[in-house]
Amino acid sequence: MKTLAAVILGKLIATISKTFKIGGGSAAPGLYALKIDPDLVGKLSRKIPQNVVITGTNGKTTTARMLAHFAKIEGLKVIKNHTGSNLERGVTSTLVNSYSHISSGKVDLGIWELDEAAFNIVAPKIKPGVVLFLNVFRDQLDRYGEVDSVVKRWCKTLTTLKSPTQILLNGDDANTRSLKKCFKGKVQLFGVKDYKIVGEAIEQQKEQENYEFEAKNVKLHGLKGSYFHLQYSSLREANTFHLPVTLPLPGIYHIYDFLAAFAAGTRLGFSPTTMIKSLKHYSPAFGRMEKFSLQPSRLHRKDGFIFLIKNPAGATQVFETITPNLKPNDRLLFALNDNIADGRDVSWIWDAQWERLQETGYRLQVVASGTRAYDLANRLKYAGFDPKLINIEQDLKKAFRQAKDGLKARLFILPTYTAMLELQRILAKIGIKRHYWEEE
Amino acid sequence: MKVTIGYLYGDLMNIYGDTGNIITLKKRAEWRGINVVVKNFSTANIMKKNDVDIFFFGGGQDQQQSLVASDLASSGKGKIIKQEVERGVPLLSVCGGYQLLGEYYKPHRGPKLPGISLFPAYTVASDDRMIGNIVVETQFGKLVGFENHSGKTYLKDGEYSLGIVIKGFGNNGADTTEGCIYKNAIGCYMHGSLLPKNPILADWLIKKALEVKYGKEINLEPLDDDFELLAHQQAISRFG
Repeated sequence: MKTLAAVILGKLIATISKTFKIGGGSAAPGLYALKIDPDLVGKLSRKIPQNVVITGTNGKTTTARMLAHFAKIEGLKVIKNHTGSNLERGVTSTLVNSYSHISSGKVDLGIWELDEAAFNIVAPKIKPGVVLFLNVFRDQLDRYGEVDSVVKRWCKTLTTLKSPTQILLNGDDANTRSLKKCFKGKVQLFGVKDYKIVGEAIEQQKEQENYEFEAKNVKLHGLKGSYFHLQYSSLREANTFHLPVTLPLPGIYHIYDFLAAFAAGTRLGFSPTTMIKSLKHYSPAFGRMEKFSLQPSRLHRKDGFIFLIKNPAGATQVFETITPNLKPNDRLLFALNDNIADGRDVSWIWDAQWERLQETGYRLQVVASGTRAYDLANRLKYAGFDPKLINIEQDLKKAFRQAKDGLKARLFILPTYTAMLELQRILAKIGIKRHYWEEE
Repeated sequence: MKVTIGYLYGDLMNIYGDTGNIITLKKRAEWRGINVVVKNFSTANIMKKNDVDIFFFGGGQDQQQSLVASDLASSGKGKIIKQEVERGVPLLSVCGGYQLLGEYYKPHRGPKLPGISLFPAYTVASDDRMIGNIVVETQFGKLVGFENHSGKTYLKDGEYSLGIVIKGFGNNGADTTEGCIYKNAIGCYMHGSLLPKNPILADWLIKKALEVKYGKEINLEPLDDDFELLAHQQAISRFG
């Protein structure tokens, strides 16, 4: 009875918030439903045959989206929490929303992305079949605390999870790899051959260990994506398999997202070759390396790209990926906000290597925007950008217009999280993108 | 002219974007034609007198902090730093580094970590997390930053405080002091990073370093500080 009441209240709030456009309706319904029934997540998720939990600092959204894509190709009915709603209330909102489908057995798989802290609270309630640990980097220290303590808490949570849960770890991140010892059940590793993640690893030596899922002979093809050989071992047979993979997402870090999604897919019994073939039809989540057309006219088509940046490691990976692909007339628009979802502390911009963007040698035009536009402009100055080529405009809408006016080539937009949401609304208004609560 | 920045335990104590302070010192010296060398001093390195013209010591996690505390004592680096500061060599320390330059730091668990007693201060771990933007009135004018600490630092003599908190918590959230200044050595809780938005302080450290090194008064060439001062002003008007 309590469960039903909680579900009804949650649904009511979702309807209200959507009708009056208070928000995407992705957090408030869960928040209130949980007040009535605190064990809602456990009760509802148990009715779903399979659940996968994804945690880590970077790549959760892309991994979840890709795994959902694989599952849909397999003909499964999937539910997952919305981007940015990766706390317990976000999970609850999705469960409440899909209550009737779950109850009537129409949902086959739940995919849950959980942030570093929420994992410890929510994962034990869900009792997932598969848990994915992607990586751990410094991110919003004001919220999550130090990397060491994040890993310690994960380790503690893992000791409480039991078989048949299976764990998949990023083997190239010393911190996630260290979780192996915390879990009694089945653990498998994924990684990229001859590549080590530059991050928080204190211990420098990569152990000579075999990964169950490994990308080899990686060739990066600019913004188009990458090509590599995937080597993996099957659970049932003692064989090792090799498959060529064309990934339509650029940068090494997306290879990790793919490996994670693929590994989880095999644990769920998906066909490896079908998963790899289906990559052709995968479209990225909003703001994750997304390409869009700034000018609808087919004759003078101008492309824009959005790359979310939110912490030093992620931002530096984005810089590394776009730098070799920049052309002299391209422009860059950066937007740094300091809202709670971005992290109030903007110190992190000094750890991200904006200097990398200077390796082109071009005198690129830049617009610095967001609530902390001046901090950002200052960082760019110290990274070697010519202050004369940096326009400062705090208002993102005006900044976007400035960047677009007189643009001869492409526009690269690098926003922090809430700036990205704002950008979505700006693009939607001028007919480029849909509003975020209409996604999916 | 040439200046050597000694980055203390940069591999262990470099959390919260404190690298921005090194970048700022380096660039602001180079823009004036001064050569800059950044030398890392960690557990494996030996430090001698006259090796360093400006010291920088950032924040770190508990585990690393205890490693650093014991190295400061056993390697003799702590003693050298003290002697150098006595003869006027400038130093900037933030958060964890600041704590280890006081008399001691008492963590939640385990024994006290001894400091090098450069600053007349001691620090005790607390259950309050002091997080947020901070604005402090000092002899350098207003300084702006972002603090994030649970350690509470108490000065044995208020005379040595770097400044008075206008917004934020400061040393301990109670007595309105923030940081400590002894000779040309500064300790504080301001990340942000601190120096990029407070160029006056950055230039003061460079000036002092050159004066001690070359034994004469130095007047630094002024720079165009548009962006620096806009960022500084924006922080004051938003949070001050």
